[in-house]
Amino acid sequence: MSKNKIAITLGIVCMILTIAIVIQINTIKGTNETVSQTLAEDELRDEVLRMKERYDNAYSSLENAEKELAQVREQATQNDDSSAEKEAEIKLNNNLLGLTDLEGQGVEITLQDDPNATVDSISVLDQISNHLVHDSDIRMIVNELKNAGAEAISINGQRVVSTTSIICIGNVIKVNDSRVSSPFVIKAIGFPERLMTALDRPGGFLEELNSYGIVTSIKKSNKVEIPKYSGVISAKYMRTQN
Amino acid sequence: MKKQKIYIVVIIGLVTMLLVAVMFAQFKTIEETDITGIETARETELRTMLSSWKEKYEETAQRLTETQNTIDEYKRTIASNEESSEILDQELEQTNLLLGKTDVVGNGVIVTLTDNDVQTISADDLLVLVNELRLAGAEAISINDKRIVNMSEIVAVGDSILVNTERVTSPYVVKAIGDQTYLFSALSLKNSGFIDTHTSNGETVELVQQNNITIPAYSSSRELMSLNYAKEVEEE
Repeated sequence: MSKNKIAITLGIVCMILTIAIVIQINTIKGTNETVSQTLAEDELRDEVLRMKERYDNAYSSLENAEKELAQVREQATQNDDSSAEKEAEIKLNNNLLGLTDLEGQGVEITLQDDPNATVDSISVLDQISNHLVHDSDIRMIVNELKNAGAEAISINGQRVVSTTSIICIGNVIKVNDSRVSSPFVIKAIGFPERLMTALDRPGGFLEELNSYGIVTSIKKSNKVEIPKYSGVISAKYMRTQN
Repeated sequence: MKKQKIYIVVIIGLVTMLLVAVMFAQFKTIEETDITGIETARETELRTMLSSWKEKYEETAQRLTETQNTIDEYKRTIASNEESSEILDQELEQTNLLLGKTDVVGNGVIVTLTDNDVQTISADDLLVLVNELRLAGAEAISINDKRIVNMSEIVAVGDSILVNTERVTSPYVVKAIGDQTYLFSALSLKNSGFIDTHTSNGETVELVQQNNITIPAYSSSRELMSLNYAKEVEEE
């Protein structure tokens, strides 16, 4: 009996020891990993911030340079009619490219994810996506606005230019590589009645979104302001064919 | 009897220990996989951010240098009372090129979408494709030689698809000039790329890389190259 007890005690002690050792090994490994991870990540994070700062500085210098360029171009062309014509055309081109702030009559559209849609209120999880604004919804509206003759469009301050993509990565919508989120404010300059009818007509796209619980509004405005594109449009791969 | 009991106890003890050890080993492995999952995700995300800011910085810095050179050029012509036509023409040409007012040539990809017995290509398919091409950095795009400019629409009217108010029909030949390798790999991503997602629907979609693709200038009767409602915000 006493031998049995000794054996059992020994067994238990051994087990506890083993457990302790295993736990210890685990913890040590864990700490080491986390430390080296965060260190490497912090360094990377710093690098990202430094690069962003460099970009911000370069971009604000570029903004100033573009203003100066517009001034000296005007100055250099004011004494000659054909030059002045070209100067005006370059200005128009820059307006069309989205490189300048524009204002004019138009519409403002707001889209908001269904405020009543929560995981609790909806039984099947994947149905909640029906109550959210999608990248395809925004693409659809932008395309309708273009079809209705919009001259300039922005989405949450992001100017729509010839290189603009509107995509969804996970549950984040990106326009011009910048995150945008609900409420989405889409502004368009153009003939207000036509822009309005394109989306607001019975059976139109906004009505369809409403039926999913998405909160939409559209209003005409005499002064819609649309900011310039905050990036660079360049031709690295294409050239004019002579 | 006693010896047997001891044996049994020891064996049970050993087995239990072994089990516990294995259990822990298992826990540890699970934990480690989780950690590496999060770690790589974070690091990858950070690296993507870094390279995207770097690219933006380089592009901006280069444009800054170009802009300053142009400013200097104008200043020189003002100072010497010369005509500034050369630098003006250069600027005009460059902005026309970016806007789509000229025929352009370059390397890129051609995507051909064709109606078949099962699936008809929709305006939305083309809209999604153009969006994907832009995301992959396309500089010029055309659908059946209709140039897609900033304000081009792609809409379904009845059974037809209109691009720049002009009718296009199957086969839809979508040309894009840009970084050829990037365009090609972005579209041909396994399962999630445009080609796989659309061919799996039964659509006929073909993707080829081609050099020296020519994309014509915007030439629709639709006025997309003028502004009637928008005007530039003047500096105060």
